[in-house]
Amino acid sequence: MEQNNSLPPFPQGLASPQGAMTPGLPIFSPMMPYGTGLTPQPVQNTNSLSLLEEQQRHGMVGGSGQTPQLYHSQVSTTTALPGNTPLYTTPLTPMTPITPATPASESSGIVPQLQNIVSTVNLGCKLDLKTIALRARNAEYNPKRFAAVIMRIREPRTTALIFSSGKMVCTGAKSEEQSRLAARKYARVVQKLGFPAKFLDFKIQNMVGSCDVKFPIRLEGLVLTHQQFSSYEPELFPGLIYRMIKPRIVLLIFVSGKVVLTGAKVRGEIYEAFENIYPILKGFRKTT
Amino acid sequence: MASTSRGDSLPKVQCPNHPDAILVEDYRAGDMICPECGLVVGDRVIDVGSEWRTFTNEKETKDPSRVGDAQNPLLNGGDLTTMISKGTGAASFDEFGNSKYQNRRTMSSSDRAMLNAFKEISTMADRINLPRNIIDQTNNLFKQVYEQKSLKGRSNDAIASACLYIACRQEGVPRTFKEICAVSRISKKEIGRCFKLILKALETSVDLITTSDFMSRFCSNLGLPKQVQMAATYIARKAVELDLVPGRSPISVAAAAIYMASQASAEKKTQKEIGDITGVADVTIRQSYRLIYPRAVNLFPPDFKFDTPVDKLPQL
Repeated sequence: MEQNNSLPPFPQGLASPQGAMTPGLPIFSPMMPYGTGLTPQPVQNTNSLSLLEEQQRHGMVGGSGQTPQLYHSQVSTTTALPGNTPLYTTPLTPMTPITPATPASESSGIVPQLQNIVSTVNLGCKLDLKTIALRARNAEYNPKRFAAVIMRIREPRTTALIFSSGKMVCTGAKSEEQSRLAARKYARVVQKLGFPAKFLDFKIQNMVGSCDVKFPIRLEGLVLTHQQFSSYEPELFPGLIYRMIKPRIVLLIFVSGKVVLTGAKVRGEIYEAFENIYPILKGFRKTT
Repeated sequence: MASTSRGDSLPKVQCPNHPDAILVEDYRAGDMICPECGLVVGDRVIDVGSEWRTFTNEKETKDPSRVGDAQNPLLNGGDLTTMISKGTGAASFDEFGNSKYQNRRTMSSSDRAMLNAFKEISTMADRINLPRNIIDQTNNLFKQVYEQKSLKGRSNDAIASACLYIACRQEGVPRTFKEICAVSRISKKEIGRCFKLILKALETSVDLITTSDFMSRFCSNLGLPKQVQMAATYIARKAVELDLVPGRSPISVAAAAIYMASQASAEKKTQKEIGDITGVADVTIRQSYRLIYPRAVNLFPPDFKFDTPVDKLPQL
């Protein structure tokens, strides 16, 4: 029965631990960090993909490995929208989707916290950086050093780089909503200075999260077994750099048990990556 | 037999009966003989040694060699060009005294950068007295990286330095990045970057460094006797086993172990001296020493002769 839930769809090269199922979102964590209306499992079934899932579950016995993967990917896309209030629909099948994972590996119960979000937006008009720097508060502009105005606002505490082409980079926010809000505030500042600023193509480019697994890790063991993904050079950097393929996230793993995850475009990728790495890290826990 | 295959080794002839036997060259008759059965495997072998022995102080006499430099088939594109040298007679100079035929450039323009890099590698390796096999390995690595062209934008010197670092690692005698920095003009940061890129490009990996890899070199540079070196190796290994120094670079742990061992023996070395040799900062040695000091009693080898007893070791 165990075998059914092992990972045939994951080829050898991927970061998933062998034999263990990678769960989706932390199923058993009591609270989600955002989007209060988001109940865990049944949410995802509202999409059309859920019917496909149910069909697969009915039809295929050996292919049940397929389901969790769909499930998995489903998790990463829907959780990115905190604004939606999801409907609670109970699936009518006897097999509920609540535990696709094998009982052997439960979720970690740890949720990575987002530390930084980098986003870009196009204000849609050419800007005169000199006037912006002179008239705006908290703006610095040193064309010899860097060709953009560096503006800061206190709430949400962020920094923006505003270029003369009208494009802007906003960094330092702790959540997607905050990043968007901050970008809008910067756009309004520019607008008030007299430029016809718009808010085009807001896109989150990078998200950084961090968490603590609360036990020390044997990095030497990890680099031996996961050579293709890990790079551990104590002379260059004290942490192990793990480049996960799916999702494409870079993790910095330290001896103390702290983990930094970066390179995500959506929040779900960070969670997914952490859930992938957690069982691997548990296997390399220091015993002393 | 004469054609060079695409492989990176010289053409191999083997005895058909004993493929593993190393053939003995009989230069007088030009034969390659199998030592096991006496079979003459290759006859009339062309002698690829140098024609004349040239001494560097003989600058006046012209070089009588008619065959040029030794062939380097592994690394060049099979350089079999012919050069025309400067003329000697009166007819070869025109009215101003310039030589009429000037064609000594563009010997091997495609490999010029590679030859330059080999020269640089040789210079760097010579500064730290690396043996020939490491230099060869470095040249091979550089050739592979250069042909792949994935690191084309990077400075050739940086790639050469990184190849040198990798070759030392692969041969089991790693040098620290700082040691390679000392013989190269490239910064540690750039060498580190190229190192990671090369590993990715060649799809190889290297073993993790351990404290014992550096002990013999550091201790002999400091002039410490064998007993102290063995004690320091033991201390460092024990410290890592007991996990007294989590997250510390193996070099720093090695430096602290050397400090402890030398302070317990008759040959006491200061932290500054050890820092100079190992490239570890003074404060880092102090930090690592503070971590291993509490368990000093357990760290020394059982048969160590203490000049200074453990409780009198300096406590920083």
